[in-house]
This record gives sequence, structure tokens and C-alpha cells, in this order.
Amino acid sequence: MALYSPGRRRVIILLAVTSVLLLTLDLRGNRVFDAVRSAAGAVADPFQTAADVVTSPISRAVRSYRDYDDLVAEVTDLRSQVEAQRAAEIAAQNAIIENQDLLALEGLDSVASYDSVTARLVGQSPTNFDQQVEIDRGSAHGIRVGMAATGTGVGLVGKVTRVSPQSSVIMLVTDPSYAVPVKIIAAQDTTGRDESTEVDAPEVIRETGVLRGRGDDRLPRVSLVAGSAGFGRISEGDTVFTAGGSTSLAPPNIPVGTVANVITRAGTAGQEVEVDLVSDLERLQFVRIILYQPPTELGG
Amino acid sequence: MISALRHGWLPRIVLVGFVLVAIQTTLAADMRPFGVSVQVVLAFAAACGAASDADRGAAAGFVLGLVYDLVIGTPVGATALTMAMAGHVAGIGRRFRVEPVWWILAVFAAIGALVGEALVPVVRIFIGEADPVGWRVAVVFPTVAVAAGVLAPVMVPTARWALSVRESELKVPGDA
Repeated sequence: MALYSPGRRRVIILLAVTSVLLLTLDLRGNRVFDAVRSAAGAVADPFQTAADVVTSPISRAVRSYRDYDDLVAEVTDLRSQVEAQRAAEIAAQNAIIENQDLLALEGLDSVASYDSVTARLVGQSPTNFDQQVEIDRGSAHGIRVGMAATGTGVGLVGKVTRVSPQSSVIMLVTDPSYAVPVKIIAAQDTTGRDESTEVDAPEVIRETGVLRGRGDDRLPRVSLVAGSAGFGRISEGDTVFTAGGSTSLAPPNIPVGTVANVITRAGTAGQEVEVDLVSDLERLQFVRIILYQPPTELGG
Repeated sequence: MISALRHGWLPRIVLVGFVLVAIQTTLAADMRPFGVSVQVVLAFAAACGAASDADRGAAAGFVLGLVYDLVIGTPVGATALTMAMAGHVAGIGRRFRVEPVWWILAVFAAIGALVGEALVPVVRIFIGEADPVGWRVAVVFPTVAVAAGVLAPVMVPTARWALSVRESELKVPGDA
């Protein structure tokens, strides 16, 4: 028999076909798979706990050795930044309080008005193609699938994709499967003057689109539709927030980042903008899960 | 698969699979050489092929992939397919040399792991993920392959135990 004959390929072909069949069934949604997955998770739990106990001293030792110099440099840098930020923080706090008071007076929700749960990161993605992290809070703390996650600041980090009673998995904004409706706010100085009041009136451009992740080595992008009001007027440095809406899983006005590049595509494809994220996903230690569910999820 | 149960290797592969998935989600996820998560389960799947043959490597890889999919939460069948291919490709090498030295087995395992990891974005595109590949794959693929080769001296004997492979069982290519 030849070294690689059709007869010898039967097993791999059978397994490949079985895999495709399983994939198709799972992607269409299958309760049996969900039950088996849940059982497998329960079986794997003691293994993972044991592995964590055994390997965490090794991980810590390696990390301490590897990251020491970087951490010392970072602490020095952060100390100087804290000094610089202190004065700005007082002014910002005042502005935030005023903003929340105004929103409350108008009966509008702000990000600060939603309950939230702070959680610690306990694990990173085990694969090289998923951008996910695991946190130590789960359904027992009110977390549900789809809820938005921010950093300890306010920047959007991702969304909850899997929940168990005491832990959850968050898909990061950079994951290729991640998508969220966003709005880009551009306040442009106008050369014209409002003659009636003699006050400069900066023009505010609001453009919406869907932000999609593209992996951890590439910035997420927002596609803009050609011919819309703000088309061609978005520029680098403009701010990007979640758009919210009845079907969006994220509430409105969570800061996402700033426009890093504007890419013009040929024909009617419109523009794309690359977004520099507010949150530093490389250095996440804690996240805040916003306990918000859109009205459609609540049946409202 | 029935043959796997009859020969008793399936429970051992599943057991090793759970242990390795636990290591994958803890130690391997934390320690990332060049920012790459070393794929220990994939390395073992490839080692199964290198330690036995293409068919048993594929079957063991398939089972390990299913364990991985069920525990990690990736779509069921996605990793099973890539790891089955890794085991199969690593096992093809055994047709060229019946009782290879350890470093040749490490090369077989590395090639199997390289093929398995390279198939991950292909499967992702198949299941509808848009553009999952960036330039980082130029670092990811070689790192995963080299790590599988480095782990092979540990993985191959473990695979032999799990698959109940004894050297006398190996047959010359073409034998019935």
C-alpha cells in the first residue's frame, strides 16, 4: 500500500466530517451540547483548581522575574502622572457631578446611574485567536450574558459571553467576534460666527456605526456609511462612545476611545475609522460589569 | 471510537485531556513566550500521532479537541477538527520511519502542531468570523510549533502510555 493512499485517509475524513457536523449543530444552538458543556465544566473544575494551586507559584515566580524592571519603571511613571492628574481630577469630579445632576433633572440615564459589580481578572484566553479574560464574579453577583464591561476607569473593555455562578468570561473589544453600536462625536471649530449672539458656535457632528474587533495586534474599526451627515468630517482625535439603543447590549455613552486613523475606501464602501481604545487591555487587573440590560432583553 | 474503548485508551486520553486543559487555562495562559499562549493540548495531540500512527493520532486529537471545546467553550467540533489534523499529520511521519529517535519524534510533533494551529483561523473563517488573522500569526505559528517540539520528550512517552502503544505493535508500512 502506498504511504498515503485514499484508504489511509478514511479515518481523518470521517473525523473531519463529524467535526463539521458537530460544529453545525452547535452553532445552530443545541440544548444537548449545552448540557454536556455544563457537565464537562463541572468535571473540569477540580482539575483547574488543582492546576491553579500547583502552577500559580510557578507563574508568580516567572512573572516577578520577567516583569520586575517594567513594574519599577511603570510605578515611577505613574507616580508622576498621579501628581499631574490630582488637580485635573478635582475639576473633573465637579464636572461629572454637574453632568449627573443635569441628566437626573432631565430624567436621562448616565453610565454612573447603573449598578455595577467590580471583579478581578483570574485568567486569560487559553487560545491565540480569542481575546477573552475570565473574572471572579458570576451569576451569583447579578452578572448576565451580554452585559458590558469597563475598566476601573470608564473605558469600554468588552462584554460578558459566558457566566457560571462564581465566574464569567468577558470577550474583549479586540476579539474578531466583538461588535457594538457606537457614535463618534466630533466638535469642530467653525470659522463662522453666530451673529445674533456674537459667540463662537462649535459644530457638533454625530456619526454612528458598528465597532468591530480585529485581534489584539490591530485596532478595532468602525465602518461608516457613505452619504451620511457626518461622512468625510470625522478626523483623528474625535471621541467614540457606545451608542446604546433598544437592542444594544451596552448602555449609551460609555467612552470607547478616540479616532486614530480615518481610512477612505474606494467606491460606495464608505469610510472606516480605527479606534484607539481608552482602556489598556494589556494591563487589566480589575473590570467593572455594568448591570444593564436593554429594554428588549427585559421584555420592556 | 469503539476500537478505542475496546483497547482502553479513550478513558486515559480523556483523563490526560482534562489535566492538560487545566494546565492550558492556568500555567500556559499565564506564561506567554513572545506573547503567545503555548498550546499544550495541541502539543499532546500531535505527540499522540508521533507516538503511534496517523489514524490513532487523529482519533486521539479528535477526542482531546472535544474535551477542549467542551471545557473552554469554543464551538464544539472546531478544536476537535484542528487537533485531529495535528495528530494525523504528526502520525504520517511514522510511515516513513518505524522507530525514530526522540528528536525526529519532536520534529513530527512540531509539524503536527504547526498544521493544527494554522488550521484554527481557517476554521474560524469557516464558522463566520471575519478576518481573524493578523500579522501576529508570524510569531504564533512558529512559537506553538517549537513549543510542541520542546514538549515532545515529555508528551510522547505520556502519549504512548495513554494510547497503550508498545514498540512491538508498530508495523512496517504496507503490512496488513
